[in-house]
Amino acid sequence: MNMSRGQFFRKREFTVLGLIVVLAIIFSLTTERFLSVSNLTNLLVQLAGTAISAIGMTMVIITGGIDVSVGSILGMSSVVAGKLLMANFPVVVILGAAIATGLLFGFFNGSLVAYGKIPPIIVTLGMLNIIRSLLFQLLGGRWISGVPPAIRVIGLGKWLGIPISMWIALILILFFTYFLNSRPLGRAIYAVGNNIEAARVSGVNLTRTILFVYALTGMLVGFAGLIYVARTGIVQTNTGTGFELEVIAAVVLGGTSILGGKGTIVGSLLGAFLVGIIKNGMVLLNVPALSEGLVIGALILISVVIDVVRARGERI
Amino acid sequence: METVLEVRGVSKSFGGVQALKGVNFALRSGEVHALVGENGAGKSTLIKIISGALLPDRGEIFYLDQPVTIDSPRKAQEMGISTVYQEPLVYNELSAVENIFLGREIRKPWGSIDWKAQEEKTKALFASLGLPYHFLREPMGELSVGLQQLVLIAKALAYESKVIIFDEPTAILTEHETERLFDIITKLRMRGVGIIYISHRLEEIFRIADRVTVMRDGEVRGVFSIGEVNRDRIVELMAGRLLVEAIERKGKKSDAPLLVVENLSKRGRFSDVSFQVFPGEILGFFGLVGSGRTDIVQTIFGLMRQDSGNIIYQGKTVHFSSPEEAMQSDIAYLPEDRKVQGLFPILGVGYNISITFLKEILGSFGVVREKKERNRGEEYVRRLNIKTPNLKTKVYSLSGGNQQKVVIAKWLGTTPRVLILDEPTRGVDVASKSEIHNLIAHLADEGLGIVMISSELPEILKMSDRIVVMHEGKITGVFDRAEATAEDVIRAATGERLISVER
Repeated sequence: MNMSRGQFFRKREFTVLGLIVVLAIIFSLTTERFLSVSNLTNLLVQLAGTAISAIGMTMVIITGGIDVSVGSILGMSSVVAGKLLMANFPVVVILGAAIATGLLFGFFNGSLVAYGKIPPIIVTLGMLNIIRSLLFQLLGGRWISGVPPAIRVIGLGKWLGIPISMWIALILILFFTYFLNSRPLGRAIYAVGNNIEAARVSGVNLTRTILFVYALTGMLVGFAGLIYVARTGIVQTNTGTGFELEVIAAVVLGGTSILGGKGTIVGSLLGAFLVGIIKNGMVLLNVPALSEGLVIGALILISVVIDVVRARGERI
Repeated sequence: METVLEVRGVSKSFGGVQALKGVNFALRSGEVHALVGENGAGKSTLIKIISGALLPDRGEIFYLDQPVTIDSPRKAQEMGISTVYQEPLVYNELSAVENIFLGREIRKPWGSIDWKAQEEKTKALFASLGLPYHFLREPMGELSVGLQQLVLIAKALAYESKVIIFDEPTAILTEHETERLFDIITKLRMRGVGIIYISHRLEEIFRIADRVTVMRDGEVRGVFSIGEVNRDRIVELMAGRLLVEAIERKGKKSDAPLLVVENLSKRGRFSDVSFQVFPGEILGFFGLVGSGRTDIVQTIFGLMRQDSGNIIYQGKTVHFSSPEEAMQSDIAYLPEDRKVQGLFPILGVGYNISITFLKEILGSFGVVREKKERNRGEEYVRRLNIKTPNLKTKVYSLSGGNQQKVVIAKWLGTTPRVLILDEPTRGVDVASKSEIHNLIAHLADEGLGIVMISSELPEILKMSDRIVVMHEGKITGVFDRAEATAEDVIRAATGERLISVER
């Protein structure tokens, strides 16, 4: 990348990175526990699922879409994984089942958006409710707990001091960053978000591109569901509620324009870190949970306003 | 008859282009004053100034002998100047009555809308024009275009308009609706309303106009009473002494056609269209906006489907159901509006260009070979003289001419055999325009079959080896470059059938 220094500092990724550093300094000065190994590990473990899901969400938002059903999909794949775990299925089968569950719903979302031409917010809002209600039926109000320890290594194991789930997240991020920049389908995702008509005229297969981003998001969220079970060992009917907002916040804060057409997966990872650090620090500072929403909400609004204002100058 | 509206010395420019140069125009009450001219002659700009959509750079407007500033369409309407556009601007969900009184409802003393009074008044307006009014309560969206137009005329009367502008009102009307419209215009004229009537159909003008003003290149070229002028004279003035030097060409046209279109029809768009494209030639397509030119080429490119007729490409009948398929057969299409169908504004120049040929520069694992991509991008930037800091520069920041070159580069990247160019130099500066013209000639010399649509007559005359002229979805003229005159082309484009070369 041959970009000048000025260009780098103007990038959203830089601003977010700066904020993360500043907050990390503040929290390590004001609290004793922030810099402790257990707290930082905890932070990374919690972030892994969000970061993995944000890969897919970044692509969805770049196409100009949105997926608010990821929280319900996470819940559902956790239930599937949890039930199979309790029945002592081999790990490979459980992994496959969790991912397949996510893929199924993601494919359904994508089909309705791509072929049905229904606005993504409506499709995924519908799915959010449908899946959540199925989940109630499946669990019948009970919890799944007492997950066998074999699987928990995915959630809690470490390598070189960093949780295995975070390693997996980083590998996926590297792979899909490469994918987004260097595969024709990745380029098509940007093209669709920039100008869907021009993409069509340029020979881009619109339905395939749109179907892909929702299906991939489903798969990745399905995998995040498995990580969730492995980490907490518990699945409830409300598992994953509100998760969609966390993922969307990470993506939007990370510089992906809610208007579509631009954004990076690395930005979303940084966005996830920012959200995670804010939450973590405020807990350590004993700030009431209500103010956490206030801070994150304000940050999201600021970044969207910046996007919208900037987009005015980018019209042709 | 007194003058109701007068425009004196009005000029207007957009960027560097002078759209109106000191135009004088006078409208008397009770006359139908036709305004004619080629595309780009300045008619629309003049109308926009009169109706408050644009402010003039210089000049004065007098309304009822008073100097006025018309700074918004609403002000124009309140003063008594109404415009009825080709495709009526209406609120589809509201009824005719609501459309007429929107923003100035008749109210009861306590403020609620007096529906009954509004409806009565509307009925009275329609009755005074001798029109039926059974449809007044239906949503506008469910009325035909003809009826929507009537509602807008009634609205103009509700504002007690003294000037009504009709912009191509008959372009999408049926014959019956057209007759009814002419009846109404006659009635309006008898009431003393001044009417500005824009149409490309010269026969209509001779039927209903009292006077005609001919414009060309932003200037008024003549004002006549309809009795003292004939069709040929008007066409001559519209065309001007157009001396266009044909661009120099080296290549030779081959004898076997590359693309043959046979009796292609699509309901409501075009009918029975046949033509051939040979390798090494530039086939110019001339016609007014709405004549079906773009629909035909989009059908060839797989963006639309014909109802009947065949497209034969390199000897085989083809049906492209998507641009992707057309591109696989080496057909490329530069769309009419780069903003709508051409550019990816917040992507870099390089990504904009390579999107059409990524599949050809894949390495292992289906990954784009970035070096190859960069080399191809740089090659096009050089060849087309695209002025950009680098390949990463986002295209929204380039000038119109350079943006257009980026879109052209994108299509050259597919190494097409048939290149369809829809308005290749629209909104492009003079220097870029001549560069694009030279490029097109060069591509034809290399053996590409080029179809070039343009609304600009000089461009068509300069570039084309043969010229196909369309009018309302039909081919009305085919000319060889040697024998084509500006006047003949305009005649064909305004509806005279002049097919001089059959091949």
